Amino acid sequence: MKRILIIDDEAGFTRMVRINLEKTGEFEVREENRAGNALATARDYRPDLILLDVIMPTRDGGDVAALIHKDRQLRHVPIIFLTATVSAREAGPAGLNSGGCLFLAKPVSTEVLIQRIKEHLPPETPAASDKAAGS
Amino acid sequence: MSEPALSLQVVLIIEDNPADARLLKEFVAEDRAASFLMEEAGSLAEGLERLKRGDIHLVLVDLTLPDSLGLDTFARVHGAVPQLPIIVMSGLDDEDLAIRTVQEGAQDYLVKGQVDSRLLLRSMHYAIERKRVEEALAKERDLLHTLLDNLPDRIYVKDRQSRFLRVSRALADLFHLQHPRDAWMKSDLDFFSREHAEEARRDEQELMQTGKPIIGKVEKETLPDGSVTWALTTKVPLRDKQGAIIGTFGLSRDISAIKRIEDQLQSERNVLRSLIDNLPDYIYVKDIEGRYVVDNLAHCRLVGAASPEEVVGKTPRDFFPIEAAERIMRDDHLIMEFGQPMLNREEKLSNPSGELRWHSTTKVPLSNPEGQVVGMVCIGRDVTERKEAEERLQQAMTDLRQSHEDLKSAQFQLIQAEKMQSIGRLAAGVAHEVKNPLAILNMGIDYFKDNLPTGDPNASLIIEDMKEAINRADMIILGLLDFAVPGALEVHAHDLGAILNESLALVRHDLTSHDITVETELAPDMPPVRFDRNKIKQVLVNVMTNAIHAMPDGGRLTLRARARQLRPEEVDRDLGSRLGDRFHAGDTVAVLEVMDTGGGLSPETLAKVYDPFFTTKPTGKGTGLGLTVTRKIVELHGGTIDITNRNEGGACATIMFKL
Repeated sequence: MKRILIIDDEAGFTRMVRINLEKTGEFEVREENRAGNALATARDYRPDLILLDVIMPTRDGGDVAALIHKDRQLRHVPIIFLTATVSAREAGPAGLNSGGCLFLAKPVSTEVLIQRIKEHLPPETPAASDKAAGS
Repeated sequence: MSEPALSLQVVLIIEDNPADARLLKEFVAEDRAASFLMEEAGSLAEGLERLKRGDIHLVLVDLTLPDSLGLDTFARVHGAVPQLPIIVMSGLDDEDLAIRTVQEGAQDYLVKGQVDSRLLLRSMHYAIERKRVEEALAKERDLLHTLLDNLPDRIYVKDRQSRFLRVSRALADLFHLQHPRDAWMKSDLDFFSREHAEEARRDEQELMQTGKPIIGKVEKETLPDGSVTWALTTKVPLRDKQGAIIGTFGLSRDISAIKRIEDQLQSERNVLRSLIDNLPDYIYVKDIEGRYVVDNLAHCRLVGAASPEEVVGKTPRDFFPIEAAERIMRDDHLIMEFGQPMLNREEKLSNPSGELRWHSTTKVPLSNPEGQVVGMVCIGRDVTERKEAEERLQQAMTDLRQSHEDLKSAQFQLIQAEKMQSIGRLAAGVAHEVKNPLAILNMGIDYFKDNLPTGDPNASLIIEDMKEAINRADMIILGLLDFAVPGALEVHAHDLGAILNESLALVRHDLTSHDITVETELAPDMPPVRFDRNKIKQVLVNVMTNAIHAMPDGGRLTLRARARQLRPEEVDRDLGSRLGDRFHAGDTVAVLEVMDTGGGLSPETLAKVYDPFFTTKPTGKGTGLGLTVTRKIVELHGGTIDITNRNEGGACATIMFKL
């Protein structure tokens, strides 16, 4: 199971993402609706990939991403931005790559989201595979 | 003298003594010429009575009459007929009486008894003749006196020492004398300033020496009271019968008034000449033949002459190129022929160095006192600087008007930009707030899609409609954002053909599904066009999508691109062209036309085609923002879009960009 952390102040949205992702049986999802807790939650949860909202009260997605990138243990965790500020046409179905990050426009279909998550998950190391196989 | 005594002379004898009278008649009868007809009167009263009736030429009167005695008798007859010659007859040989009667005016004094026929006849003839001469002399004298007393001219006679012998009344008046004779033996020194008196005396001495008259000399006369008069004086030598010069005769006329007028005229002439010479304007006068008769320095310089004298007598042909000269002479002729002035005519004339300069000229016909045009007065000036200033002003005005227009346009754009910025902020906020709920709905639907209650045929339809509704809402927000938040343009030179093909690829699916053929006419020499690649692709896709939707049953989509120059009438705002807001005549533009073979647009649709949220498509098919956004993007590129119906049917969207 891949561990996905979703950071977004919109609790309804994070819940929808969690339900839809976990329904596949391939993902385990943790929600964090307060940007200020994002780093602590990430350190605690050790996700394989982070879904991150851009516009949030108190701290925006860019700042959160910067903190995560600076963190020794978290710096390699891929981040996909989910945002309402880019339109689907700008981002396109494949998302928009900007500054090494992938942006997906809200609203996004579950199908597209799962596809992009899978593309961005780091390739599994043998050890990790073993661990996954063993669980 | 001049009148011969041939005619019959009537003689009246006034004699109371019949014997004496008879004797006298007998004496007279001996006259061979029979010149006399004798009449008698016996008393003074009778005699005077006869004299009253006239036609008597000579009177013989006895001093001793019954009604009068002595000298008194003569006096009374003479008093009655002073013009007639009178011979006194007396019995007394009284020498004193004789002298007195002659002094009183009698022609002769004859003593009765001492007279014979010869003596009497001679005395009578002489008396008549002498009286005639006397009369003639008196007439002459009277004439002279009349002249001297009445002529306004000052007349005088001076002796060799320049002393006055006679002066006329007018001169006496000038000298403030009671009577002209009061001037006798006085000289100019008594009446004029020393200076004038001495000059007059010198003139007179020279005149007497040389005998040469002084004619029409203008003299300034200063009177002792300091007043000055001007006189026109003529002096001639006065000669005696032998021709020796014994003095001078002079005549002078007071010309002070004329002199004053003359001085005034001279002064006015001086002012005029001074003006003519010193004014910077060209001032000249021409005669009826167009020859210069007066010229000033400014005009001399214009024609390249050294002095006005060099110009006078010549015509414009001597100074100007032949064509200009002929034109000037023709104008001059017309002005003088019709007597109409030419005012402020502005024309270009070359100066001596060949430089063409603007001149303004006024020519006014000049008439003589009889009203005939005899020439014209001309005044002109170089107005090149003014003309150039006018032109600069005109240019400045045009520039100003242009800047004003630009400013207005900039202001409009600024206001528009500000408006858009506000709308943009609002739209971005709304978009963000709407997209999150949409995202939740979207994922919620995704969840239910796989967990539909079985056995309900509507469930999947509802899910599809909800999904579609979310898409529509998303599209509206997208269009709103495009319209309100255009973002910065990334402008580069691009190949229009390549962009066309890329855009075509994006609508390929629609084209094939609607059975539409595509024709592309791309001019081979099409230069690259500068624009934002993605934005223009958006424009092309929008316009092509509209064209495709206009042909639901298939048709032909034509894309034509070429470059051309704009004609002046195309950018004339007065003709209602919107191109004038963006382009100027002569600009080279890239013209891109997207044509369909659909049903075209109604006038109502054409009028609203760019309005936000206006759409002809069924609900859910169009946002109503496509052409609004399209036009916005084209205008951001400084271009224009125009949608029209084609004559052959269908619509045409024409997009132009400046190259």
